Amino acid sequence: MSSPLPALTSPFKDKYTTLPSSSSSPSIATSDMHVSALTHVQRPQNPTFISQSSRGVASLPPVNSSFPQSTASLNHTPGNEDASWSLDQLQKFLDLPENAAAPAPNQLAESGTDVMASEDHDKKTDWHEWADDFINVPDPDWSRVLDDTNVLDSKLKVSKQQPQFHQNQPAPHGEFSSNAYPSSTTPTKPRMRWTPELHEAFLEAVNLLGGSERATPKGILKLMNVEGLTIYHVKSHLQKYRTARYMPESSEGTSEKKVTSIEKMKSIDLKTSIGITEALRMQMEVQKQLHEQLEIQRNLQLRIEEQGRYLQMMFEKQKKVENEKSGAPSSALDEAPSPLSGLNHLPCNNDKSDSEALHQDKSRIGIDSGNAGSKNEKGTADVSMKQKALETESTHHVEKNDDESGFPVLKRARTEK
Amino acid sequence: MKFGKWLKQQIEETLPAWRDKFLSYKQLKKLVRLISLAESPEFGKVDAEAEFVYLLNNEIDKFNAFFMEQEEDFIIRHKELQQGIKRVIDTWGPNGTKPSEAEYIDEMAKVRKEIVDFHGEMVLLVNYSNVNYTGLGKILKKYDKRTGRLLRLPFIQKVLQQPFFVTDLVSKLVKECENTIDEVFPVEVKEEIVKVQREAITVVGKGVFRNTVTALLSMQEIRRGSSTYGHFSLPPLDLPDSDLIHSFQLNSPIPTV
Repeated sequence: MSSPLPALTSPFKDKYTTLPSSSSSPSIATSDMHVSALTHVQRPQNPTFISQSSRGVASLPPVNSSFPQSTASLNHTPGNEDASWSLDQLQKFLDLPENAAAPAPNQLAESGTDVMASEDHDKKTDWHEWADDFINVPDPDWSRVLDDTNVLDSKLKVSKQQPQFHQNQPAPHGEFSSNAYPSSTTPTKPRMRWTPELHEAFLEAVNLLGGSERATPKGILKLMNVEGLTIYHVKSHLQKYRTARYMPESSEGTSEKKVTSIEKMKSIDLKTSIGITEALRMQMEVQKQLHEQLEIQRNLQLRIEEQGRYLQMMFEKQKKVENEKSGAPSSALDEAPSPLSGLNHLPCNNDKSDSEALHQDKSRIGIDSGNAGSKNEKGTADVSMKQKALETESTHHVEKNDDESGFPVLKRARTEK
Repeated sequence: MKFGKWLKQQIEETLPAWRDKFLSYKQLKKLVRLISLAESPEFGKVDAEAEFVYLLNNEIDKFNAFFMEQEEDFIIRHKELQQGIKRVIDTWGPNGTKPSEAEYIDEMAKVRKEIVDFHGEMVLLVNYSNVNYTGLGKILKKYDKRTGRLLRLPFIQKVLQQPFFVTDLVSKLVKECENTIDEVFPVEVKEEIVKVQREAITVVGKGVFRNTVTALLSMQEIRRGSSTYGHFSLPPLDLPDSDLIHSFQLNSPIPTV
């Protein structure tokens, strides 16, 4: 879990790293289409999350009409719902940027401008469909940015922030969130996840330009020279930065203003009695503990799901074997038992090691396995319910009864461990 | 305690300002009930599932947006704090431009408090992430149970990859803060801590400290053994300093006139 750039832990990383380069070019051309695209909520989409594994999930009906009340409190306006990316759609459009990105290293302000300008027209029709799904950044500044190329060319060469091929881990680079879900609260920008490295680059640029007051978003953007970074990102980041700098001078450093003046006084009263430093120290201890527990909890959750996934896989393997058996009853009969028995053995071993590891984790936080053991009937019931659910949807055949007895036994053996 | 109630309590006691950013557990629960009651043709069920997933996705969007927004703020402030410390040391420290012990102590105290509060805020964000994840897991479990579908497992896999769940960066910043604090705290404090720990302490009013204590206690509460314990449940939480933490008696805020 400890990658150098934590935001890149998603498998979508590679796909998305090419995204930004392509998003910038069509944004000018399609800004008109963007407006019209937003008004079209009704388009066939598959709810992404389960598009792979679900059975028969229909395309999304016009949601907003049928859910007037229950969504009201979720404070989303109907107009800007880009419900979900479908992975297929993503694949389709990702093929395009390969072409766009290939010709030149996509340095925003360099000679790529010519390339981009000409590509705009070609891509216009392709992007149209894409624009429907993707939320564009309206970038009126772009034309000016492109014009200023020559002036700042020398500066860019001096800048250490060499692009941009995201395989360069140490080089700072912008990236979009690793999931495909654009933020629905700010419909105009794709969600960007900042990293400390990126922030360093930002700071350098700001300092080169004479400080946070004097630096302009446009200038910073150019100096940073990071692929996929838009002026909108820089603008909002700059704003945050300015707030963070000048807040400490006006009041306490927290931008959320949690402590009112009265409360400050009260806490000072408390703290003088035991010494401010000691109180702080204790606060720190509690916070440390909370954090530690959160981390442990998170790791546990990850492992639990991992194990669940593994079980699921085993499940499906079993299903396949069953189906194969039904397909070729005579010839496969001899072979069938062995893969099945193989299956029987496999999960036992692996699950044991997995649950051992899980046990270790649990004992770290003071659990004895007796606790877990007694509640396992419920767990088993849970699992076999799922098994039943799966089975009702599959074909029925004679051998099924044997398997049915085999599989739950397998599961119980594991859980009783 | 039921999760819905616990969630509400968590929010109110730790971060009421973030109320809207948390999972809309109640609404989703209502929806699940509606779905399960609507006995229906296969098409209807599938339709309803699409709706449900759509709402869940919206929630996740919400979490992601908020989380990344906060994360960005933290990155900025973290850097500023580091620079602030450096400034204090360089100016008023023994080798600084205008060394002055009094000023140094004074400024350091301020910086220390800032760091500790900052640390707390970050931890609360991690907590936010966790609470929402838990909520999602629970609502999915409910859904599966009520409808007999198998939505939870694949869906939760995707959730695990969402930015709001991948809290590595914030955790890293938290650890860095802890290191900084160790350097910035004077050594003699440690003995006094032991003495102080034996007394009951009253934590006053609002503030990050109160919030984190609450969060920690709540976590313990929610992880007490439950009736629906299963394969996918977390074991009960055992805090090493449970007594100490319970000794922080949480005052209700005194209304200000």
